Amino acid sequence: MATNEKVDVVVVGAGASGSVYAAVLAKQGKKVVVLEQGPDWQLSDLTSSDIWGRRVKPAGGPFILEGKHPVSYGYQAGWGVGGAALHYFANFPRLLPNDFKIKSEHDRAHDWPISYQDVSPYYDKVASDVGVSGDAKAEEIWRPAGEPYPMPPMKTFRNGQVWIKGFEAVGIRMVPAAVGMNSTEYKGRPACIYDGWCHVGCPIGALANPLVTYLGDARKSGAEVRPWSTVTRVLTNPEGTRVTGVEYYVKKGERQVQPASVVVLAAWAAQNPRILFNSATDKHPKGLANSSGLVGKYMMTHFASGTLAIFDEDVENHMGTTGAQYMSYDRYGKTSHKEGFGSSFIVAGFALKTNDLGGIANARLDLFGADLHDFMKRAKRGLTRIGTFGEELPTIENRIELVSDKDEFGMPLAKIIHSYDKDAQAVWNANFEEGLRIAKTTGAKDVWSARGNMPTIHLMGGTIMGTEAGNSVVNSYGQTHEIPNLYVAGPGNFPTSGASNPTYTIFALSLRGAEQLAATWSTIAG
Amino acid sequence: MNSIERRDFLKATATGVLAFTTVGAQALLSARQAYAQNVPFRLLKASDAETIEALGETLVPGARAAGMAHFLDQQLSLPPEEALLEARILNVRPPYVRFYRNAIAAVDNASRALNSGRNFAQLGPSEQHNFVDAMRQNKVQGWQGPGGSFVYLVLRSDAVDVVYGTMEGYEALGIPYMPHIAPDKRW
Repeated sequence: MATNEKVDVVVVGAGASGSVYAAVLAKQGKKVVVLEQGPDWQLSDLTSSDIWGRRVKPAGGPFILEGKHPVSYGYQAGWGVGGAALHYFANFPRLLPNDFKIKSEHDRAHDWPISYQDVSPYYDKVASDVGVSGDAKAEEIWRPAGEPYPMPPMKTFRNGQVWIKGFEAVGIRMVPAAVGMNSTEYKGRPACIYDGWCHVGCPIGALANPLVTYLGDARKSGAEVRPWSTVTRVLTNPEGTRVTGVEYYVKKGERQVQPASVVVLAAWAAQNPRILFNSATDKHPKGLANSSGLVGKYMMTHFASGTLAIFDEDVENHMGTTGAQYMSYDRYGKTSHKEGFGSSFIVAGFALKTNDLGGIANARLDLFGADLHDFMKRAKRGLTRIGTFGEELPTIENRIELVSDKDEFGMPLAKIIHSYDKDAQAVWNANFEEGLRIAKTTGAKDVWSARGNMPTIHLMGGTIMGTEAGNSVVNSYGQTHEIPNLYVAGPGNFPTSGASNPTYTIFALSLRGAEQLAATWSTIAG
Repeated sequence: MNSIERRDFLKATATGVLAFTTVGAQALLSARQAYAQNVPFRLLKASDAETIEALGETLVPGARAAGMAHFLDQQLSLPPEEALLEARILNVRPPYVRFYRNAIAAVDNASRALNSGRNFAQLGPSEQHNFVDAMRQNKVQGWQGPGGSFVYLVLRSDAVDVVYGTMEGYEALGIPYMPHIAPDKRW
């Protein structure tokens, strides 16, 4: 076993949230080490291919997936430096004020311990830091005013434009989607060229992945990133009152210890609870920060209702971005659908490729053989789709638990148990029905719903934030209630999921937490 | 590594072509080329490959000649973290070869039970179509193994990859590929 020189901060995970902490603290002059279990990806590794793009996703992972609606771990998770934000679509919608007060306003789920107004300045800061394109003024029909985005909206293409007539027909207002992409050159990074390969990683840096934003900043400020370093435990002092560092294994299997004044767990919503559980001691027999028993609880995902259409015209579906061109919060009210409770968030206009989960061939999963080939020929230029994300409310039965099987480092695997409730299924169905109503007014030749198994998109919960240890794992900054120098970052801290893509909020909450940690460093680090 | 330098191998791996062993040496070939040259399989038995090719051709016309069995054989022989299979994002637990062997066994066992002892590859085209259609809907009588609809999804994805997911596939469909970083011209 090797023990490394003590540092100020060890960040576990080099994805969206960890990179923010690393950047903020390294810029403050703190000695920062970032441990990442996978490879040290470079932009030049991001080959434009759905087949080759699978390299940046986990192979198997340490999770057993159970429940009626198992979590789509392999597609959602990241593996390697950049994390899931290396292959995310960079849709940057916000949560809205109603997301923070569901308990107060509807007596459902949880209130957040903070309001939209607490997070809003950080949305604006992140937009400036990483570059966001969109029309902030147009969004003010749904949210309080903030700063304008630093870049104008992205270009739109026929695959998005053809839907506008349908949305108007049912009274849904669409505005330019806010995206973490460059519509113009920004901070030395080039403008997007709209070739639709965002989902396998953008190698030109037009999309705001961690390599070209916060992690790049962190490295420039002296943070050290150690790839192939798998953290298995957070270590504590004998009294169990403070963390002292982490145990991790390098690729060849050697055990190492990284002492640190502060530990930030930023290994995603699934892995953070697993590490906390595996860090149990006699002082913390249920795992660190888990006296309430809430670590690993309230796992949430989003579901999406996709509607597809084939038009006679060439809708340029090979062009654009994987993220959306248009978005709408017009169904974001928690009671928008009488059939079920929860918000819905609508997006339209995506580039399509031929293969992989979201490819043209999977638009009709029932087809094979000659029928599939005929469909591919019809769809190759005329197919386009819209999607509506839905909110899953937190339920304590959706959880992560350790199991007896172990990984190559002797760390127990975990299972993620996840099932949607009746509200989610009702909203999912209502969004399909509305999608078809929209599609039928567009003049498309064929329209259909992309029904199949109910999808599980994004992953949130497991270390939810709240006002005290009795109702949550961390406070609004990500600091654990029980151990002051242990932080948790990322979507695991969301006490409710909203219905919009989470990464912009992950960046914003991480920036808020990191700045608080920096501002109160001497108190927290000791 | 015999006939190619490691740096060339890494470069090729990064850009697209795959390493196959042929006449005792390693060569960089596309799966289509490996099929055309009848390159020996590393891991699959001949009967496994026959079933995969027949399934692939039923699922997506052209999958056999596109080298579906060679693609799978090459990918299954790699460490899981280097494999490019859609099984990776469909949450198949490594080692992936275990899933494929179980899937092939399920298909051929059911085929023999239902078709007078004939493996799937020995069925006529319409029989193969009907079998796959039933498998897709979890309606194959006596099926034992991974779920039929999931086997359909995984194998169909592999067939789609090799036929439609390559630069050749895009070109054949008439879809501009527009790469930032092009894989090899064949992949």
